[in-house]
Amino acid sequence: MTSRLSVRDLSLHFGGIQVLDSVGLAVEPDTIVGLVGPNGAGKTSLFNCISGHYRPTSGSILVDGVPTLHRPPHRMAELGLSRTFQHPALQLDASVLDNVLIGAHTRLRGGALSWALRLPFTISGERRARQRAGELLDHLGLAGVADRPAGSLAHGLHKRVELARALLSEPRLLLLDEPAGGLPHAEVEQLIETIRAIRTEFGLTIVIVEHHMGLISALTDRVVVLVQGRKLLEGTALEAQRHPLVVEAYLGRTAA
Amino acid sequence: MTTTGTPSPGATRVGPARRPASAPLRVLTVVALVAGVIAIALIPLSATPYTNYQLSVVAAFAVAILGLNIVSGYAGQISLGQSAFMGLGAYAAAFGVTHGWPVVASFLLAALLPAVVGLVVAIPAVRLRGNALATVTIILPILAVPLAKRFSDITGGSEGLNVDWMHAPAGVGLDDDQWRYYVVVAIAAVLFLLGRNIVVGRIGRAFAVVRTNEAVASAMGISAHRYKVLAFTIASFYGGAAGFLYVAVVQFASPDLPNFLVAINMLAALVIGGFASLWGSVVAGFFYVYVPVFAGAVDPSRTNIFYGAALLLVLFIVPGGVSGGVSRLVRLLVGRLFGRRPPARDDDALTDPQPITSTQQDTAVPDASPDGLRSSVGPRKEVP
Repeated sequence: MTSRLSVRDLSLHFGGIQVLDSVGLAVEPDTIVGLVGPNGAGKTSLFNCISGHYRPTSGSILVDGVPTLHRPPHRMAELGLSRTFQHPALQLDASVLDNVLIGAHTRLRGGALSWALRLPFTISGERRARQRAGELLDHLGLAGVADRPAGSLAHGLHKRVELARALLSEPRLLLLDEPAGGLPHAEVEQLIETIRAIRTEFGLTIVIVEHHMGLISALTDRVVVLVQGRKLLEGTALEAQRHPLVVEAYLGRTAA
Repeated sequence: MTTTGTPSPGATRVGPARRPASAPLRVLTVVALVAGVIAIALIPLSATPYTNYQLSVVAAFAVAILGLNIVSGYAGQISLGQSAFMGLGAYAAAFGVTHGWPVVASFLLAALLPAVVGLVVAIPAVRLRGNALATVTIILPILAVPLAKRFSDITGGSEGLNVDWMHAPAGVGLDDDQWRYYVVVAIAAVLFLLGRNIVVGRIGRAFAVVRTNEAVASAMGISAHRYKVLAFTIASFYGGAAGFLYVAVVQFASPDLPNFLVAINMLAALVIGGFASLWGSVVAGFFYVYVPVFAGAVDPSRTNIFYGAALLLVLFIVPGGVSGGVSRLVRLLVGRLFGRRPPARDDDALTDPQPITSTQQDTAVPDASPDGLRSSVGPRKEVP
């Protein structure tokens, strides 16, 4: 069985700075993998390589066995990959629903002419997309704010809107970049439940970058620890937390 | 299955509402639309021929500015070349007319030729951003004027091309000015309807996300490059169609139309009318045509002062332009009259934000590119 995501020997330089150094990673279908490490370890850069936004210096990435290195980022969605961003990137003046509907882009067909003429398939497609978006918003507890401008929502809700947008593209592989970042404790508990539920319901494979160890322990099957662009170790969340090198990487030598 | 512990009370709201609109606001919009259509239909019957002429020119420029709005307002790519496409459309229409082409064929030539030119220019040009793109587009009108003068066999040189067409058919009972008004306004209305369909659906959402965040666009499977080219091509098509309408009214195509001052004034009028708003394009059309008229009543050289003052007013007081300001005002008034602010929905738990609101200061920056993921940064060029 091919891995849903396979990263091999991946290196990334920005000028003289080595951001990623021979990182390898395999994510099996229907698993949740956590990507942890101190700030600047290269976690988000690895995400950006996987989603095609950064072009790695060397190495290879395969999604369901398909090499993706020479794909532009906008052609990753058709492989069933979607992602959220560390800092929610929404159109603040557009409604929550409109923000989420962007996720339906690859699910809708037809060019400018078909849409200008409102050909029947564009109307039915739009209706289905809105239906689906409504269900997702409902699912994520956002139904009541669907028509409000995204900019009027609290930060925690922005993250949910991003999640709904990513889910609307019906991905098989979902990259979540710090979904719990900036959320208070109670919301994190809720988020854990949400991620669990969507994973089962949509049959998702998920890679999570997160600092919140509670969330990582609760959700992930495996954890990959990155430190200074290198993979330090791979194991369960518990193994990772206990490993002396991880403790050292997070807290410094003396604390260990 | 509700997963977040905040079960939603009613059915999910998946209505067609693109923006928050309360019931009274919707009624008001429908009433205003119906009244507007009736007024548009009746005005030319009692107005002077000169007023009909002016209003027809407004419709032509509104179409050109709608095109500009699609590329600059909706897709966020500033173009200073729109007048070149309008000029090209005008010459193409005049060419068709003088060669005895059927009207429909002249229209297609007038709209499609600029669209093709726009497409060819856009493919390399939209790789540039912001000021660089604007600077490149300004070359179009700067080239167009001397070209129009140089190829005088086709264009009539500095004199321009006079045409004599678009007369009211016998038996309709309309004068030429009335007939032209109806033809031009009807074509403009169809073009606005098509434009509206483009900006509200899949294509419009793609334009908006390309404007606000290209990294998100690509993550959602949207090629920023392709949609910028598309927006530019549609803008050129509308510019050309507007050139056709202009020649239908003015009966004249000349090198004065593709002038770059015309393009700059159209952009200024659009900012004043309202970016990314269909009404904004209509307001801009009126502004473009009538400001020189009013300014001319004082002193013909005062047009630019009027433009400057209006621009400053808009930028400082109503950033959404006239259309944005009016719609905000209407919302406010409706809210006052009906006792609640239309955008607020108090029928669910989430409207009163949870305590998290206060903990987050960084909500002020989410519009910025994620993770410094600006496409100018990083080892990969945006979309080959």
